[in-house]
Amino acid sequence: MTTEDVKNVKDKEVRKQVVIPLLQHIGAVCEPIVDKKTNVLIGQKIGEGNNEFSVPVHSSTAGHVVAIEERPHPICGSVPSVIIESNETNDTIEFKTIKNPSKEYIISALKDSGVVELNGYSIYNMLTSGKLIDVVLINLSFSGDVSSNCAPENIASIIEGMNLLIKASDAQQGAFIIQKDDRQLISAIESGLFEEADIEIFTVEQNYPPSMANLLAYEITGMQIPNICTPLDAGVLLSSASSALAVRKAVLEGIPQITVNITVTGAVHNPGVKNVRIGTSIKEVIDSCGGYSGEPGKIIMNGIFSGTALSTDEVPVIKSTSHIIVQSSDEVLHDIPGPCIQCARCVDICPVNILPGRIASFADMGMHDECFKLHVNSCVECGLCVYVCPSGRHILQLIRYSKTVLQQLLKYEDETGYSGCLTCETPCLASTPFISNGGIL
Amino acid sequence: MKLTVSHPSHIREGVTIKSIMWSKIVILLVLSLFSVVVFGLQALALLLVSILAAVLTEAGIQKLTNQELTIQDGDAVLIGLIIALLLPPGIELWIPVVGVFFAVALVKHGFGGLGSTLFNPAIAAWVFMNMSWKALAGSKSISIPHIGEYTDLLMEFGAGRMAEVSSVVLIIGGLYLIYKKYIDWRIPLLYLSSTIIMAVILGEELSYVLTGMLFLGVFILAPDPTTSPITKNGRIIYGLLCGIMTVIYGYLTYNYVVAVLYTVFFANAIAPFIEKNTYPKPVNEVPA
Repeated sequence: MTTEDVKNVKDKEVRKQVVIPLLQHIGAVCEPIVDKKTNVLIGQKIGEGNNEFSVPVHSSTAGHVVAIEERPHPICGSVPSVIIESNETNDTIEFKTIKNPSKEYIISALKDSGVVELNGYSIYNMLTSGKLIDVVLINLSFSGDVSSNCAPENIASIIEGMNLLIKASDAQQGAFIIQKDDRQLISAIESGLFEEADIEIFTVEQNYPPSMANLLAYEITGMQIPNICTPLDAGVLLSSASSALAVRKAVLEGIPQITVNITVTGAVHNPGVKNVRIGTSIKEVIDSCGGYSGEPGKIIMNGIFSGTALSTDEVPVIKSTSHIIVQSSDEVLHDIPGPCIQCARCVDICPVNILPGRIASFADMGMHDECFKLHVNSCVECGLCVYVCPSGRHILQLIRYSKTVLQQLLKYEDETGYSGCLTCETPCLASTPFISNGGIL
Repeated sequence: MKLTVSHPSHIREGVTIKSIMWSKIVILLVLSLFSVVVFGLQALALLLVSILAAVLTEAGIQKLTNQELTIQDGDAVLIGLIIALLLPPGIELWIPVVGVFFAVALVKHGFGGLGSTLFNPAIAAWVFMNMSWKALAGSKSISIPHIGEYTDLLMEFGAGRMAEVSSVVLIIGGLYLIYKKYIDWRIPLLYLSSTIIMAVILGEELSYVLTGMLFLGVFILAPDPTTSPITKNGRIIYGLLCGIMTVIYGYLTYNYVVAVLYTVFFANAIAPFIEKNTYPKPVNEVPA
């Protein structure tokens, strides 16, 4: 079946090799279901997990598997990955298209499509969690996601994706969340929505990255959601533009999530939006943008405030990649932290209303019990406290350090009767925000 | 290719301790200029001696204890400058030297240096000088400003201390600091409004209350980052407390100038207590 999107995939320059990590979601690592030397097609499932939270992984190119080994991963160190060498053809598996799917069909289609939210949660798992979903929200206030996926030609597809999610979840209504200043996007969505009565537009003041999902749900619904819960617990299915597009593609065209749109900005020659296959290395993406301009100093994935700095540009693009920022070597910060002068600028800007600077000072002294009392685990790691700190202190690093130590301590206490949910070896929906919010991905 | 790996955030706003301190210094230097016009060269001598003593004390301590020199962050200059502004010009110049040494060596570095001080060093030094040499540096025998006409707000010739010379400079400077977010708006707003409301309730004449010293307290001394509470609610209580205390002290002693200084000194002392009792609740707190 050849549709417009497959054509787009086909028209693109065929990559020689893709490295597809078997962990692109929150949950256990998938088991590879192909062997070395197996021939695979575009869209073929190559990894599947038996764990409840696993999300299948698909091949984004046609060719043969050359190796299944540990490769560097943008976030998780190194992870078992399937390396596929392309055979320069564009043979795909058969994609099943449908019009007006039923609720059951949507859910079954999403099961095998491996659609993953920007924060690593699987859409399928959210829909089948058994929790009552009142409202479907699509967050269009994360600048990386918006710049990559909200091009005018995608608006209709995003609204279609929203309708599919509403149908699948039996929600009463849906809403788009857009930043107040983004007039262009508001009018684009408004004109796309002219006949949808049950979809609204909410405007918010600030930028909500995926890691701040709970705060966004709080802002919209007024329900406080602790970090060990997800918006689902408040009856909210929170999605993003990227996954709305992926849902539409998976259900109506039968294509699993094998490509993502990525905005490349910063010190490259031709910054812009690229549609790339999952598994392409960051280096190739940057080369397709004209290469580095000047000596690169830092490559940041997903947002300048809370994104991850990559250790190498050989890591692959994964499902939750939406934004790559390249800083030249003289833009990179080399701050020597000074003393905390208790100016409370971090307290004033903190979106979860904790005392970041004070927690960091306690963490610096190893007083993690005090950090715990000051609600260090409520931190959503947005990075704003570091942004405003006049002393150049590494507040977020110290907060993460404290969280990690506390996790070890609480885990130890578990054997003596502590009944927290921090005990799994593998990260799960409940514990991940404790470790490092924004999830694994 | 060398890539840097670090925790977020990957950019900074650009506000530094230096920019906060030096903008306060610039505002106070403008004020000093006015006071030199009013008091003449003896004011200039007091300023120079005080600032020089502060810088030398800090440099000496940091040299002796093998610390990095931090003169350029402006904190020592600011302490020296504020101490000079709190004293009457014409004072014997050994007094500010001793006072500045007390402030920098004992109140600042004795408690752990920048960011760890319990009391605002300048105010603590003023309290020390006022108690030790009351006749020379103290509150007796110095004229108390009275804002009789509107021009007194710009230039008060009846000022007894250098800080009282011009309220307008301090108001404009303070608003600039709030606009640039170098100081928080809560303490100045609540301090000023609660002072005025209390004074009106007690039937005090506002022309004695709204002196230059009050505005120095409102915009520079009370919102001093280290010695004020870090919690939002704590700062509101702190501002209210400053205002109420100032008026009570001034009402009983008829001296609203000294009232400001003793109030901020007292408020500094209980700021940790206020802070401890106003820890915020996170919006996503795990229910117990």
